[in-house]
Amino acid sequence: MKKPRFGFDVRKIVESRLFYPSVTLALILLVDAIFIPGFFHLEIKEGHLFGNLIDVLRNSTPIIILAMGMTLVIATGGVDLSVGAVMAIAASTACIMLNPNLIGVRLADVTREADPTYSASPLWAVFIVPLFIAVICGLWNGALVAYGKIQPMVATLILMIAGRGIAQLVTNAIKIIIYNNTFLQLGNGWVLLLPFALFIAAAVFALAWFITRRSSIGLFIESVGINARSSFYSGIDEKKIKLFAYMFCGFCAGAAGLIAVSSIRTSDANQVGLYSELDAILAVIIGGTVLGSGGRFSLLASVIGALVIQATTTSTLAFGVPASAIIAVKALVVIIVILLYSQQVQDFVRRLATQSRPKESRS
Amino acid sequence: MMRSMNATFSKNRKLLPLAATIILFCLAYGAGALFYPGMRDSQVFFTLFITSPFLLINAVGETLVIISGGIDLSVSGMIALTSTASASLLRGGWNPWLVMLLMLAMGAALGTIMGLLITYMKVQPFIATLAGMWFARGMCYIISDLEVRIYDPTYKLLAGTKLLIPGLADPVTQKGDYVTILVVLSMFVLAAGIFISQYTRFGRTVYSIGGNNGANEVSARLMGLPVNRTKVLVYTFNGICSALAGIAYSIYVGSGHGTHASNGYEMTVIAAVVIGGTMLTGGEGYVFGSLFGVLTTALIQTLIQFNGRLSSWWTSIAIGLLTLFFIGVQSLLVNLNTRQLARRRPGAVPGKQALDRRMVFAYSAGIVVVLVVGALLMPTIQRTFARTFTSATPASSACDLKPLRKDQAAQLMKDGAVITYERNGGLRCVDELYAIYPDGRIVADNGQQKLTKQVAPADVDHLLSDINKLGWFTDDMYTTNHRPCGACFSYATTVSYNGQTKTVEAVDGGTDAPANYWQMSGEVLVVVPQFSTPSE
Repeated sequence: MKKPRFGFDVRKIVESRLFYPSVTLALILLVDAIFIPGFFHLEIKEGHLFGNLIDVLRNSTPIIILAMGMTLVIATGGVDLSVGAVMAIAASTACIMLNPNLIGVRLADVTREADPTYSASPLWAVFIVPLFIAVICGLWNGALVAYGKIQPMVATLILMIAGRGIAQLVTNAIKIIIYNNTFLQLGNGWVLLLPFALFIAAAVFALAWFITRRSSIGLFIESVGINARSSFYSGIDEKKIKLFAYMFCGFCAGAAGLIAVSSIRTSDANQVGLYSELDAILAVIIGGTVLGSGGRFSLLASVIGALVIQATTTSTLAFGVPASAIIAVKALVVIIVILLYSQQVQDFVRRLATQSRPKESRS
Repeated sequence: MMRSMNATFSKNRKLLPLAATIILFCLAYGAGALFYPGMRDSQVFFTLFITSPFLLINAVGETLVIISGGIDLSVSGMIALTSTASASLLRGGWNPWLVMLLMLAMGAALGTIMGLLITYMKVQPFIATLAGMWFARGMCYIISDLEVRIYDPTYKLLAGTKLLIPGLADPVTQKGDYVTILVVLSMFVLAAGIFISQYTRFGRTVYSIGGNNGANEVSARLMGLPVNRTKVLVYTFNGICSALAGIAYSIYVGSGHGTHASNGYEMTVIAAVVIGGTMLTGGEGYVFGSLFGVLTTALIQTLIQFNGRLSSWWTSIAIGLLTLFFIGVQSLLVNLNTRQLARRRPGAVPGKQALDRRMVFAYSAGIVVVLVVGALLMPTIQRTFARTFTSATPASSACDLKPLRKDQAAQLMKDGAVITYERNGGLRCVDELYAIYPDGRIVADNGQQKLTKQVAPADVDHLLSDINKLGWFTDDMYTTNHRPCGACFSYATTVSYNGQTKTVEAVDGGTDAPANYWQMSGEVLVVVPQFSTPSE
């Protein structure tokens, strides 16, 4: 029964879900192609591909990874505002595990001669422990939402406010510079001419796709989002599903935090993942998953949503807008995209279409 | 007895979160006064108001928005935009009152646009106001990339005027407890907010459309209430409040920049509203409660400063925990309500009731556990890190932060300088020591190079009398001790005038230093020579 439905689903998804995000992305790239000469120029420098498109791909990886978790959370009818703070917590944990002896020591004395192979903890632990802590953060959010029955926006607001304080508590508010080469590969390395982080994003996407589309969890998440109560009565444990979604979101935030801190090389609890919860939510919304009510979701559409956001940022930079003013442009793009998606505009377009038809018949 | 208590309880159920906030505030203040004798000074209480007039103004507007069932994240961006725009208009020589009016109009316009998007285009309030915040913050950098200082005399007057508290201050010597004009302004906004929410038709409509997951809005519409108009007007009102808060903020800090009110200021506002007892689901809450929400957040900051050893980021953890506590209280009350409803309803499912009771128990247990764990952890963590908190200055990553060169400054004063001004820190860890001599000679030393500049001796006299007028030698100019953050500057200034000499230190990035300190800083920075530094 599953196979034929699967084939049908793909066609349906291409028609309804991926269409608008892809068109938006294509439009942005078209504007770039017309107005910015050399935007699509690619060349091989220092053993890897180099160009604006690669920049878009590379910088969008944290957003893509966050968007995977956020898609599931929003599909259950919730939202997770704390991902930026969880990113900071994971980043601080990784840094303190790489370099714990910096607590309270004047940084300038120690780090200038830092050893590129030094790591205080075994490297696998540097990757696993922050992810574990991030999943615990997700568990906390999920427990508040599913078992505490607190509004998702409010429940995750708590960790959003407290999280950056916790991240600073972990590193004692000191910015730790990362020198470990292996860890730095996470955000700065290249594999097969492409950024290494891109492969991590692909792996997280594959994991999310596998969990949701190769098991019934995806279906359950959609059903919880559409109507939590009736899912409960039809035998789905909506609380566990919600808990799972938030834990997965925490996991994604942890992974994104590791990549982010590796690419900026410094644990700065006030900077890692700043505003990234907003980027992630927007990526999901541009991907067509409805914030607030949840329901049907598409992971691939969210990936394209993340690319739309990063393409906007990169091309605005290429246009010469100062980096700090980019958010103003982003805000306008967001409003336009949201308006295009809104019921009002779609009704308006439909009305235009129906009005024009009788006119044609008259003439 | 029990029954009558229950009846009172259920009748005044809505007032309970507010009562909890007031009790908590009083307890925390009492505990602070018990542990830190400095807090027994009545001025500390007034300082709670003095340091947060903009927060209160924002909270009033945000309360109405939240009661109507929405949320407004744009407040922090609006503050940044208002401060930057007004600072650059003032630099262009505009009339300050005209600038303020323009800012209010701009706030109202942006608020209305967001309200229209939310009401008529059905954009989620979260998204629409988020875009508003981004837009406002981005516009700041388009107006000016650098911080714009305000030198306008009207703004200075508004910032510097002290209103003495009758009975607690001596009007002859001008000493004693005082508040600023901004405090009066914020109280006025608070009164207006209370009046609008409780005594007008508009206010009642706001209450009627919020809550119950949007169902109340539908029924209000069916009742013929002007739902759409009210929703737009709520955001317009909050836009005006944000602009007013932005004006207050720019008067308070004396400058405008895109980074003003950053680091989750909008979340602090929302947390203050929640702590004040307003339900984030809408429909319930009091503007008056937000006053105590704001005071509680200001009190947390004050307690952490009085402690001295706890870093400022404990503020965010404490506010987060408090928010959790009040959300717990609120959901407890909601559950009590449904329980009572279930009891009254004939044929209520007994199992459902038991479940609710269990949930109430789980909440209370959870809250107690969180509070106990927090209380237990605090001293332990504090002790563990006490050494590092007190001994090491927090080092920035990119550079080595040096301590203030106090001895050198003292030597310069001995050599005849009338002002020494040291600025230390920032992202590049600059360490600039300026010495101004009465003959107009200014020597600047940043550790690597020395610059000299000659100004007219009359300018130095003028600067000195200006600083004196700012109240340098009064008790209002005091050293504030808190640890500098990574990108902040610490300042040490010594001024000698008419036989008096006084040194005051401060750290920027917070709002606890006396506002006139930054006025002084701005005036000194204009005359001293500039080091050529690479742009950030």
